[in-house]
Amino acid sequence: MIRRLLGVVPVVFGVLLLTFLLVHLVPGDPVEVMLGESAPVADRAKLRAELGLDQPLPLQFVHYLKALAHGDFGRSIHSRKPIADMLRERLPATASLALCALVIAVGLGLPLGIIAALRQGKWQDGLATLLSLTLSAMPHFWLGPLLMLLFALWLGLLPVSGMSEPGAIILPALTLGFGLAAILTRMTRASLLEVLNEDFVRTARAKGIEERKVILRHAMRAALLPIVTVVGLQLGSLLAGTVITETVFGWEGIGRLLVESIEKRDYPVTQACVVVIALSYVVINLLTDLLYVRLDPRVRFAV
Amino acid sequence: MPRQVLRLGALAILMVASLLLLDACSRDSRPGEIRSAVSQLPQTLDPRYATDAASARVNRLLYRSLVDFDEHFRSTPSLASWRVLSPRLFRFTLGPSGRTFHDGRYLTAEDVAATYQSVLELPDSPHTGEFANISKIEVRDENTLDFFLNEADSNFPARLVLGILPAELIARSHDFSRQPVGSGPFKFFAWHRSLNLDRISDKQRFVFEEIRDPTVRVLKLVRGETDILQGDLPPELVGYLQKQPGLHVQESEGSNFAYIGLNFQDAVLQNPLVRQALAHAIDRQAIIRHTLAGGSRLAETILPPEHWAGNASLEPYTYDPEAARELLHRAGLSLPLKLVYKTSTDAQRVRLATMMQAQMREAGIQLEIRSLDWGTFFDDIKRGNFQLYGLMWVGIKTPEIYHLAFHSSSIPPKGANRGHYIDRKTDELITVSDWPNATARIHEQLPYIPLWYEGQFAATRKHIVGYQLKPDGSWDGLVNVKRSKLKSVFPGKNTLEGF
Repeated sequence: MIRRLLGVVPVVFGVLLLTFLLVHLVPGDPVEVMLGESAPVADRAKLRAELGLDQPLPLQFVHYLKALAHGDFGRSIHSRKPIADMLRERLPATASLALCALVIAVGLGLPLGIIAALRQGKWQDGLATLLSLTLSAMPHFWLGPLLMLLFALWLGLLPVSGMSEPGAIILPALTLGFGLAAILTRMTRASLLEVLNEDFVRTARAKGIEERKVILRHAMRAALLPIVTVVGLQLGSLLAGTVITETVFGWEGIGRLLVESIEKRDYPVTQACVVVIALSYVVINLLTDLLYVRLDPRVRFAV
Repeated sequence: MPRQVLRLGALAILMVASLLLLDACSRDSRPGEIRSAVSQLPQTLDPRYATDAASARVNRLLYRSLVDFDEHFRSTPSLASWRVLSPRLFRFTLGPSGRTFHDGRYLTAEDVAATYQSVLELPDSPHTGEFANISKIEVRDENTLDFFLNEADSNFPARLVLGILPAELIARSHDFSRQPVGSGPFKFFAWHRSLNLDRISDKQRFVFEEIRDPTVRVLKLVRGETDILQGDLPPELVGYLQKQPGLHVQESEGSNFAYIGLNFQDAVLQNPLVRQALAHAIDRQAIIRHTLAGGSRLAETILPPEHWAGNASLEPYTYDPEAARELLHRAGLSLPLKLVYKTSTDAQRVRLATMMQAQMREAGIQLEIRSLDWGTFFDDIKRGNFQLYGLMWVGIKTPEIYHLAFHSSSIPPKGANRGHYIDRKTDELITVSDWPNATARIHEQLPYIPLWYEGQFAATRKHIVGYQLKPDGSWDGLVNVKRSKLKSVFPGKNTLEGF
């Protein structure tokens, strides 16, 4: 357990080193971006020295780590705001959208998957399969405007986009949630079907346990492992920011921050975003691993 | 067992439904504001750093500058009038209007001097280079100051369009990018996600929201979540807006110049016959008619004909694929001629590129389109890493642009002569400011293939009155816009026919 936690340290260090190197080695120069085309060479050299960009890379990396340890991500080249503030503003938006989408996905995907598995081959199964395939095949940039037309323009219930009006989170969360629900439905169905034919399910039924309990307490618990894996991965990618959905709905999340920073060549922001996204993946993965142990007593971390 | 499952499903549906209902009840309609959805919010509200179009447009509302332009793009007094005391000495006298800063201070010559002085001294301002010619600024009295130049520049007043900041706040390194204080017709209120400004004259609140997706901007306007849309929409969405009841769409001619840049370092493109062939291979009229906003018109040179340095007598290159083929044969090339055209990833730009690709095929030119993300694209252009590229000059006011774009001394990083166009005659004509002949020479030599001036349009809700569209796409029309007293009966829905 402790070892699993310690194992995170080299991963995090690797992430920091890799993003630092990638951002600093790609062609393009923040000084060029800041000064534009017409600046004299002397000005460029001066600014480069001021930003510490004239120092050797390893030294820059050490400075970067030192600042990071104090929670200092540096400043944006464009807005000149501290990046930590920008992240503090964007992360909650992404997190709340991710959680809402996940709730919708689990709320729709699990029941549909269970129905499909129990009614295998019947019309309910066909319907659930059709529904999930349709939803997972819809790209977000198309499903988003479609939901806007339906809920905002025709029904007039929800705002088209933005974050200021209450309920604005529902449409982007539905857009994301539908796609995830589709995958969860397929996953739940497959996983539950596999388990339903196992001996322990037959034993549970033979003991005269209520069918509801057999499914939910015995079969589902065994079937949950692959589902948890998928949910963990999905949550990771949701927290990484869902660029298209965030752009379509004007949701000021981390994904848009990343893309905007790349477009503007705002390297410090790009770097900070990548670090945060990578770290959230690491944390979610760690949590998933820990959850495995609770779910399945057979899983043990090597001592 | 299935009952449990059904119950779970029902619960989920109930949850979503109740969320929907909860929201429908609690909507807050925020009366009184005038909202504008823009494709991009300003990068910074500090005029000393602003380079993007949105920043320039908002800063025109927040600050006042010494000089402005009339409809023929001549410099006119704004805060100050000027006298030329000698070719290298300009005296500016501040007038009576626009002299109160939003924090109550009185704007004096000291503030003007401090603003320009700070631009000259800032280590990281992109505008420092533009004012390098200023050798000294001297304040005579509260209303008068002198600019001393290193070299004579008859065009100097036209450069002084920087917003004036209060000297005291400059000295304190106030953060103007987020907390602007100017003396313009609008006062900064707040900037959290959306940018909020108050009009000084009547305290009307204006809200600018950034909506990146064009379809979403349109839906927001149709539903009444925003009041004004201007520019940045593909033509089919403009057409859709024109059909909507309750909206008012106005169109006008524009002055932003779209062109194809050519690389003179390329062996094939060095041949004037090839450049002429390219100019004859594009059916500009058809593109303007079918895919551009109304009010778009043919362009022959960067400055439009109504500009004082414009040239209305340039003969347009007509669409003639046969002639283009002929020219390419005379240039001794075997057809098809393969060329690479670089453009951004913007959907409309890519669409225009594919149209030109199809038209050029008729003329025996095989155009390969490379659509690159903006950073990479612009970097390639600046490095001269291209054969052809498509871009647009936005908000150009002075013939200085010909020096920046075509003079042999303006090759990057010193200027924007990105195609390395070197022509002694052009240089001479630009140096003596002979604009009719300079534009004619450039038109004949074709360092750019001129395309069109893109038309402007704005769509407003019916209850927004008095919004005037400007040819350069600026937002100055907001100074006079009003909200009529009539309100929609059903604020949430698209039912405005009741007016």
